[in-house]
Parts: sequence; C-alpha cells; structure tokens
Amino acid sequence: MTASVRISVEHVTKRFGSGTLTVFEGLDLAVRDGEALSILGPSGCGKTTLLRCMHGLAGIDDGRIVIDGVEVRGPSRKVAMVFQHFGLMPWKRVRENVAYGLELARVPRATIDERVERYINMVGLRGFERAYPYALSGGMQQRVGLARALAVEPDVLLMDEPFGSLDALTREVLQNELLRIYQERPRTMVFITHSIEEAIAVGDRVVVLSSRPARVREIVAVDIERPRTVASVIAHSRFVDLRDRCSRLVLDRPAA
Amino acid sequence: MTIREAQAHAVAAVRRRNLSPRMSDWAVRLGSIAVVLLVWEFLAPGWNPLIIRPPSAIAVAFVDLLQTGELQTALATSLRAFIGGLAIAVVIGVFLGVVTGRWRTAFNAFDPLVSALYSVPSVALIPLIGFIFKFQGDAPRVAAVALFCVFPVLINTQQGVRNVDRGLLEVARAFNTSERRLWTDVILPSATPFVLAGIRLAIGRGLIGMIVAEFFIGLVGLGYLIIEYGNVFRIDRMFVPVIVVAAMGIVFIGVIQWLEGRVAPWLRREQ
Repeated sequence: MTASVRISVEHVTKRFGSGTLTVFEGLDLAVRDGEALSILGPSGCGKTTLLRCMHGLAGIDDGRIVIDGVEVRGPSRKVAMVFQHFGLMPWKRVRENVAYGLELARVPRATIDERVERYINMVGLRGFERAYPYALSGGMQQRVGLARALAVEPDVLLMDEPFGSLDALTREVLQNELLRIYQERPRTMVFITHSIEEAIAVGDRVVVLSSRPARVREIVAVDIERPRTVASVIAHSRFVDLRDRCSRLVLDRPAA
Repeated sequence: MTIREAQAHAVAAVRRRNLSPRMSDWAVRLGSIAVVLLVWEFLAPGWNPLIIRPPSAIAVAFVDLLQTGELQTALATSLRAFIGGLAIAVVIGVFLGVVTGRWRTAFNAFDPLVSALYSVPSVALIPLIGFIFKFQGDAPRVAAVALFCVFPVLINTQQGVRNVDRGLLEVARAFNTSERRLWTDVILPSATPFVLAGIRLAIGRGLIGMIVAEFFIGLVGLGYLIIEYGNVFRIDRMFVPVIVVAAMGIVFIGVIQWLEGRVAPWLRREQ
C-alpha cells in the first residue's frame, strides 16, 4: 500500500447532453504506480467515458484528474491508448501503423526503426511488417494496436475493452500475450472490460462500477500471484471466490 | 487462432487473390462484345443503310478517316479540351471539396451556389460559356468540360472529407497529432477513394460536355465529325467518332483505376 499514486481521479463529474445525463458524479479513484487496474462495470455505465477523460480526450464538468502531479487537459505523450475498434489506419502498413505515435512525437528515425522492430516482435507480428491491416485477422490487428501503444513507451497504458470485439479463443491468446508483456515490464495500466474473468486475469485490483451515474461500488484486490496466464488464474483456488464477488457486485445483488 | 494458423490464413487469402479468375473474366467480356458485333453484322444488311451499317463498313470508314487525317486532327482537338477541362475541374473540385468539407462556414457559403449550379442542366449553360469566351479557340470547350466535370469531383471530395472515420480522428488526437499530420495521415488518405470515384464519374460527364460544346460552340473535334457525317447520311463514318469517344471513356477510366491501385493500394481488397 506504499506504492505512489500515478493517476488520481478526484471528485470528477461528467455530464452529457447539456447536463441532462450524468455519467458519473463526484467519482474518486487512484491508480497506483505500476499496477494493472481493471475497471469492470455493466454496459453503458461510462467506463469508456472515464478512460477518455483520463486521457483528456473528453472534458470533465467538475473535479480534476491528475497524472504524475499534472492535471490532465489534453492527451499527453506519457499516456498511450489501445482502442476497442483497433483504430488502425487502413492506408498504412503494419510497420507504419506501429511507428505512428513515434513519428508524431518526432522521435529520431533510427530510434523509430529500432522500436518498431522490437515491438512488432514483442506482439508476435514479425514477417507482417509490410502487410496492410485488411490482410490481418482481428486478433492480429489488435496486436498492431497494442504494438503502436507500447512503441511510444508510455508511463501509462489505457486499454478500452481492447479484446472486446474478438472471438473467445483469440481473446484468450491476446490476454496471455498482454500478461506476458506486462510481466516483462510492468507499467501502470488501466484496463476497461465488461468481462469478469478478464478483469480478474489482467488486474491487480478490480474496480467495480455501478450503473449510471457510475460510482465505485467496491475495489476488489486480486490476490493471485504473477506470472499469470488466463488458465493459471482460472485454475487458482481464489478465482471462484473472486469471480462470485465481482459478479454479485456487477449484478447488484446483496452479498450472500 | 494461433499465430501460425493466422499466418497460413493470410497467405492463403493472398494466393486466392492472385489466382483470381482474371482469364475467364476477360474471355467473357471479349466474348460478349464479339457476340454483339456478330449479330449486328448479320442483321445490318436487312436494314435501311441510311440508318444502320454493319461493323465491317464502320471499320472501313475508320481506316478512311485515318488516311485523310481527319480523325487524328479531330481527336487531338477533342483531347486538348477534355484533358484541360478535366484537369481544371479536378483542381477546383478537390480544393473546394476539401475546404467545404472541413469548414462549416465555407460549406454554408458555397453550398447554395453549388446546389443551384448543379441543379441547372449543364447543357443549358453551354451557349453562355460560348459568349463568355467569344467562341474563340479551345477556351470555351475547356470551360464546358470543366463545368461538366467539376461537380462530381467537388461533391465526392466533400463527402470523403466529411466521412472520415470518427474513431480514427480520435486515435490521431490520442497520439497528439498536429493539424498538418491530421490531414496527411487521416483526412486526405480517407478521402482519396471518394475523390477518385468522383473523377470516374466526371469522365463520363466530361465527355458529354466535350461533345455538346463541339456541337454548339466550336464545330471542331469529334463532335463536329459526328455532325458533319450525320448531315450527309454517312452513318458508317458518323459511327467512327462515336466509337472513339467510347474508347476515350474506357481508357480514361482505366487510367483512374490504375491510379487507384497506385495511390490507394489498400483498396485492392475490394476488387
């Protein structure tokens, strides 16, 4: 509990439609340095909106969000995002897509080449550097999205249901890849999902949000040691208990 | 799906595309043309020769017109007006399309004018263009082609710029794009297929503009050949410029399709 706080969400209120729809109100949340924090909540509870606010892609109506002591006003180069819709440029080849963030950051060419190669290898896409996204399966496209975010070597990785649109098998493969990559170099990660298993497998803690207006219902510590794989987490003796607890919180049932 | 399976899958997909039934496609295309020509050839003698001549007679007329040099002269004149007009229309159309597609004020300023001009049949403006350019030289015919071509380019470009995927705009913002890089990375590439489709439509309209302008303004070029030989009931010779105009359309659209493959290779999956 001594780890310093990296992202601090303080009394944040967000409304849509000229104030008629309150997404969340007075929300407080702290993401610790180096932790993987899962945010779990029912569909439409505002998880994605919260993540967009953390990155400064959406404004907030009250309160403040602070990353490393600096209040968020717009996207920062220290933070990178992985999108549910992958967000690859169809006209860029794999290596150009991965290089995108680095080019925008005006990183020297040699560094770009070295990093692009490293992260393409890390996500298992060696040999596909010159492919266009359309030639790749959904899972491979999201590997590109992940490599693009990792390539800028951000302090914080924001992931918005990154595997939500993949089939179950591909999803598990990519969850394992993410766990491996996190293991190699743990970095602060906020992982949005509506899958309870995924939230537990990926996160050191799981924040369970209520439905709109979203508030933090509870924060569940995942006491399952790393290194993990999805299979090892599910087989773990703590898993069933954690899943039931999260499930009860999400489904709004009183504790048994 | 494991990586290896995915790789195999992708490779197989690429192979399928390369081995696509190109040969049989072409056989059917050419065969269909051959059938039409044959039927025409055999049925034509039963008709009044003042109305229908067989393809063989048209082929002879084609050679005749080449030998007198009339066809080359007319084609050169027509091509000058067509290429000049199309080029002007692409420059103006893309520029106005980008500006009006991106900035609301520009859209509001231009939209009523564009809608009004687009609603008027362009043919109705041909005499006006003649007067403006005093019926002199290539200028009025270039202007006529440009008028016919500009709207599809403009409207398509505008749509392309407006239809940029919101998700990609957000990605660009999330990675801290500059306005200039936003254009080169996202907006222009995403508008490119729309622009090219606009140019394809413009080619068809531009040929109409070219011929009509030659009927009413210049009395030169392929349009004049059609009038000249139509007036003396030389249907065989009249058909020659008609076929050349059709060939122009096919060639120019082919060039655009080739360009599409060069500047927008990610679109090849559609074909």
